Amino acid sequence: MHLLSDGTKPIYVQIAEWIETEILNGNFQADDKVYSQYKLAEIFTINPATAAKGLTILSDEKILYSKRGLGKFVTPEARQLILDKRKNHTLKGLLDEVALEATRLSVGESELQEMLRESMEKIEGEEQ
Amino acid sequence: MNVVECEKVTKKQGSVVALNELNIQIKKNTITGLIGRNGAGKTTLLKILAGLWRPTSGHVEVLSVNPFNSLTVSANVAYIDDSMDFPNTLTLSEILQAGKRFYGNWDSQLAERLFEYFSFHPNQLHTHLSKGKASTFNMIFGLAARCEITLFDEPTNGMDASVRKDFNRALLKDYLAYPRTMIISSHHLEELEELLEDILVIKNGKELLHEPIDVIRNYAIGLTGRSELVRQWVTDKQVLYTEEVGANTCYAVVKSEGIPLEKAKQLGMKVTPVSASDVCVYLTNRTTGGIDDVFK
Repeated sequence: MHLLSDGTKPIYVQIAEWIETEILNGNFQADDKVYSQYKLAEIFTINPATAAKGLTILSDEKILYSKRGLGKFVTPEARQLILDKRKNHTLKGLLDEVALEATRLSVGESELQEMLRESMEKIEGEEQ
Repeated sequence: MNVVECEKVTKKQGSVVALNELNIQIKKNTITGLIGRNGAGKTTLLKILAGLWRPTSGHVEVLSVNPFNSLTVSANVAYIDDSMDFPNTLTLSEILQAGKRFYGNWDSQLAERLFEYFSFHPNQLHTHLSKGKASTFNMIFGLAARCEITLFDEPTNGMDASVRKDFNRALLKDYLAYPRTMIISSHHLEELEELLEDILVIKNGKELLHEPIDVIRNYAIGLTGRSELVRQWVTDKQVLYTEEVGANTCYAVVKSEGIPLEKAKQLGMKVTPVSASDVCVYLTNRTTGGIDDVFK
């Protein structure tokens, strides 16, 4: 992964999202140990305090749990939590922006639905 | 625990005030970026911390002692800049041997490996090195010294892009293995911000901002929209910068604290993030006028 430091997203958020994606891809299973702040710092050439912040977000959201002295581990419900979060926040946020832009361009609901259907068909076509 | 404490530190050089009642504290084992314009006082501050210069007034403590003329500070603080005065009678490899004799924690293996990696010749003289090569050698010296405090003054001056990248990675890896306090000054924040835990911005010899890097990253936002709308909307906000871009469009940078972003978007303004290095540029800008005013 390549980190962006143009300010669009704080580095620690990008770290948290990277770990989430690794969990969604199955590279980290429930009760697996994830990388320590120092390992993450080394992988991405970032300050370990920044990496620790990313891990803390995930702990606060119950995606990771700590074992004293051993590190951080994936909770059994992590996958579901990440899916819910991405659906309710990320996807919804994107939709809000789409709705706003559509209103600015006076694109109606049915036209928008048609465009969405085309986009989804395109992705399904690519996956096959 | 703080390893550096400055209280009302002033340094006058003739009639020029380089540092003006500066107050700072640096926590142990952090990497701090020291950011400021040319002449803001970065080098003066680092030289005082290294014990090379004496402040005109104020109180300085480094590793709990007054750094000026202190052997403790000399032995435990490495100050690296691009005009390092190494003796001309010593070859590069002799300089490294001298470093080993002087610094208790000197890592010969690291020094030799980096020396080889950057393809130096043991018998070269420091004065014969190109600017970039000299900076690279100084960096090797500073890292291998493995001092409790390492002060880098513009360490990447003259280095090419790939050496800079290697420098960042070498610095971080050695810091992870041997945590210690580092202060790195630069005007190229974007090249090193990922390494930093804290940023210290100084302007006209005074501290302006000393915060964790993420606070600076979220410090400001950019608003773009119709000029009258933007200008009117930002009147009661803390504006860092405004610029007319194209016909009747204005770009304004405001402090993000308490800004209703959703409202701004609904009004038709484009909201964009402002990178940490841009924040520093806007914060350290002169308050009045830009280069265009010179040519009026």
